[in-house]
Amino acid sequence: MVFVDIAPHLDVLSMMGSTLFFAQRLSAVFLLAYVIWLITFFIFNQPFEFSTWVQFTNQQKFLIFTSVVALTIPLHAFIGLWTIGTDYFTQRTLGFINNRLSQYAGFIRGAYTFLFTILGFLIVFFILFIIWS
Amino acid sequence: MSINHNKVRPVYMNLFQIRLPISAISSITHRLAGIYIFFISLPLFLFLLYFTTKSYNDFMFIQEAFKNSIFFSTFVSFSFLVFAYHILTGVRHLLQDLHIGESLSVSRVSSYIVFILWFLLILLLIWMFYL
Repeated sequence: MVFVDIAPHLDVLSMMGSTLFFAQRLSAVFLLAYVIWLITFFIFNQPFEFSTWVQFTNQQKFLIFTSVVALTIPLHAFIGLWTIGTDYFTQRTLGFINNRLSQYAGFIRGAYTFLFTILGFLIVFFILFIIWS
Repeated sequence: MSINHNKVRPVYMNLFQIRLPISAISSITHRLAGIYIFFISLPLFLFLLYFTTKSYNDFMFIQEAFKNSIFFSTFVSFSFLVFAYHILTGVRHLLQDLHIGESLSVSRVSSYIVFILWFLLILLLIWMFYL
């Protein structure tokens, strides 16, 4: 209650956590629906053949659904990977392994965040490039 | 209960001496699987999507590689299985977010159910592709 009194202007920031929480869960449900849709295609189209596969991936429904998924994947993945980074690549956690290593915790977490951000953008680009080309 | 009053306390902690409960194991492996999917499975799936839809020859090349190379087929199968594992444990976590099966005993049982389902999926995959 004291916290509310001393930082009333931080209301937006305190909503950030729950927004990210729900964004990750809702995107998870959406991606699950997409995966189930793909699985039903593979189950009902056995043996797996080129003609049916290309027909499936060229339909409008697939292109739109996959484009939305391409943007949902980084939303879901960035929240999860960021959580892992801030949980494990900290001074305290890296100190369990090695004291010297813990001094570079900020750098390691930064490099890790940079790496997955770059890869995330590359993945979005390649998904859109592959399906629309 | 006794409290350690020694001035010299262990600075480093041996993480391998901690015995995690089964639900914690399913949680940490869900995270590890997530990292594997993002950095390895997802680029691999895009590679497969690109070449299987590019042309008939490329499609046949991938199919032949899957049949002939035990390394390639195992790598692809493993990547799919890790993805399936992430989904199974993820559904369990989603149910727990909806306050379903949150208690200690139920979460322990559901962890075992997830492991058993995943194991059955591995057997199904082996039966479908290798036998």
